[in-house]
Amino acid sequence: MKRERVTARGRARAAEPEGHSSKAPRRRAYGSVAVVLALGLSTAACSAGGPTSVAGRQTLRIGVKADQPGLGLRLADGRFTGFDVDVATYVAARLGVRPDHITFVPVTSATREKVLENGSADMVVATYSITPERGTLVTFAGPYYVAHQDTMVRAAETTIHTVHDLTGKRLCKAAGSNSWKRVTLELGIAAILVPAPSYSACVAMLLAGTVDAVSTDDLILAGFADRAGPAVRILNAPFSDERYGIGLKKGDLSGCEAINRAVSQMYLDGTATRLLHKWFGQTRLALDPYVPQFEGCD
Amino acid sequence: MPPQTRGRRRPVPGFGRLGLRTTPGRVRALAAVAVLAMAGFYIVANIAVGNARDGLRVIGHDAGPQVLATGDLYFALSDMDSQVADILLAGGGSRQATAQQALSRYGQDRARADRAALQAAELSAGDPTDQATVRSVLDGLGQYERLATQALDLDKQANRPAGPPTATVIAVYREATDLMKLQLLPQAYNLTLAGGATVREAYEAKRSAASSGRVWVALTGLAVLVALAGLQIYLVARFRRRVNFALALATAVLIVVGVSALRLLSGEATQLQLAKADGFDSILTMSRAQAISNSMHADEIRFLLDPGRKDTYSLDYLYKAQAILYDSAGSLGDFYTGLSRAMLAYQASSRSVTFFGFYGEEARVHPGPALTAVLTRFQQVQADDQRIRQLAGAGHGRQAIAVLTGQAAGSSSYDFDRYDQAIVSLIGLRRATFDQAIRTGDQDLGRSVLGSWAGLLPLAALGVAILVIAGVRPRLAEYR
Repeated sequence: MKRERVTARGRARAAEPEGHSSKAPRRRAYGSVAVVLALGLSTAACSAGGPTSVAGRQTLRIGVKADQPGLGLRLADGRFTGFDVDVATYVAARLGVRPDHITFVPVTSATREKVLENGSADMVVATYSITPERGTLVTFAGPYYVAHQDTMVRAAETTIHTVHDLTGKRLCKAAGSNSWKRVTLELGIAAILVPAPSYSACVAMLLAGTVDAVSTDDLILAGFADRAGPAVRILNAPFSDERYGIGLKKGDLSGCEAINRAVSQMYLDGTATRLLHKWFGQTRLALDPYVPQFEGCD
Repeated sequence: MPPQTRGRRRPVPGFGRLGLRTTPGRVRALAAVAVLAMAGFYIVANIAVGNARDGLRVIGHDAGPQVLATGDLYFALSDMDSQVADILLAGGGSRQATAQQALSRYGQDRARADRAALQAAELSAGDPTDQATVRSVLDGLGQYERLATQALDLDKQANRPAGPPTATVIAVYREATDLMKLQLLPQAYNLTLAGGATVREAYEAKRSAASSGRVWVALTGLAVLVALAGLQIYLVARFRRRVNFALALATAVLIVVGVSALRLLSGEATQLQLAKADGFDSILTMSRAQAISNSMHADEIRFLLDPGRKDTYSLDYLYKAQAILYDSAGSLGDFYTGLSRAMLAYQASSRSVTFFGFYGEEARVHPGPALTAVLTRFQQVQADDQRIRQLAGAGHGRQAIAVLTGQAAGSSSYDFDRYDQAIVSLIGLRRATFDQAIRTGDQDLGRSVLGSWAGLLPLAALGVAILVIAGVRPRLAEYR
């Protein structure tokens, strides 16, 4: 026992720089015990987050849409604006990250899982509907809002009144989006799917007459309808609940829990209502002022 | 003996600086080291025991019970809304009895919700966000009750047969059910999740603190032991005396306290782990499954009650069913098929868990007959749902309502109640595990060889210090 202790101390002394070797080893030993003790008892606080968690970070890279007015749109000067961008900024602030320490990364519906997996974004706030299928790939905090899927048609269209009238019509299928699945797969409506890379492309195709309908979340449609003006019409026949989640790398539980707390606060302090009115106050949408039911962090 | 020679050689550089070249100086220094090491042991053991106590407090008496209370709140709230819908669907005439039953259950639910909300309010006292949420639930509950009463009164006045009520009634009911669905239930559920998050954080922190605490208790205890042994050996060698009795006694006290502290700490870690992994985690998962199941069942009722929103209610039903048990993406039809497939595989071997969701999680960690009962009844509930939708789809609305509200096996209300009971008894089992572990942990902390730990530790530390001083005093006196 005694020999071991002497050896250990000898080793500690050997590791010490030359000039300090005359210092009282016993005192140093107490010092280091205190330091290690403090470390040992305090690591508990940090270890829960883990190195990959968004909780406790100084900077964040946040994936947002770049082509969806009202939600996530890249302006000519490179800045991003929209409801999702504001929500992301609020949540980041609650996590302790200043606005100038956020880097927004443009994502599309098809790249959202990929950017989280390969680490090019730490979190994704991009009209990202929580689905059980996606839940097997990423961890979802939130939802921070529940949108409802609706359908946009050309203003002159007279035969489409509800989503069920899409049977036999050409429906735009945006890559990576879940919305077309709700229509053809979950509701079993036999629409003809026409692929497109994004919703901005879908709207262009609707205006050009190459598709008959674009069916997706009312918030997304509202932003596009605002731009397209009287050429298009929204059916105003919502048929689903779309839970907008904040996507995190799979398994980031403490990040997810911290974000859920932030979203609760966003509703309690009135920020959520303010942001909803800022971005969608001009539309006919009924905006829910209540905090959505969270999915829970698994 | 090597310790003797080393004992003499060792002190030279450090002790020289401290001016301790003389024998009494060295004795004093060694005694001081032993006393200081004992003080270190005392501090470390105190922190470690305190950590164990905190862990038990949060999980067993604070956030843990909050999760249970808010789970209860969610259940009571969502059942209130289901009962209102049942009364409205049952209408007058032959289904009067059903309506009466639902009405009395509504009253019980309301009382239960009030109790649970009050309890949640008490438990959330430390967290402003949770507190504000509980307040908002209480406000909303009053508002909901007003709307529900209004809808029921209007419906009574209408005096109609079974089936969808009048448009005015539906309008008021929509307002009530929207308030429930959009505000009250989400907030209650979020409170459950917040409690779960607090428990998880506390557990992670306390578990790693507990394991480093054990290491530090062992290390400092060992340091005291080495110091005492060193002092003993030095005295024997230097003064050519027999074993110093006081020091030997101090060593014995230290060994007893050290060993029982380590045993206590590892016992506490075990109980905490039991309470968390085998009790709490499962309770949380099953409470969430129960909550989502209830709201899924309410979507089935709403699907029949409010045809104008039937797509939304169908998709919500599917979403919730998949949150409970996920096999693969697709329509409700695909879900029924996937469920049968997954259950067949699971019944063949409980190790073949091909599904995800709450029950996938539970089946992977805690398989057993109680969970199998839940799964079997879940499957029955889905079979009823399938039948209801087939009937409604074929235009047999009245038959569909009969399947929904009937009170015998093969009707949705009956089978859902049995399913719910299976969840309740599974939660009861886990609750017993949880309570037992917390009780054992509390008891072990409260008692030890010499009474409570809070009293024993300082006493032992003081005792060792006094014995060390008593042991070296006569030797030092020889130099006066």
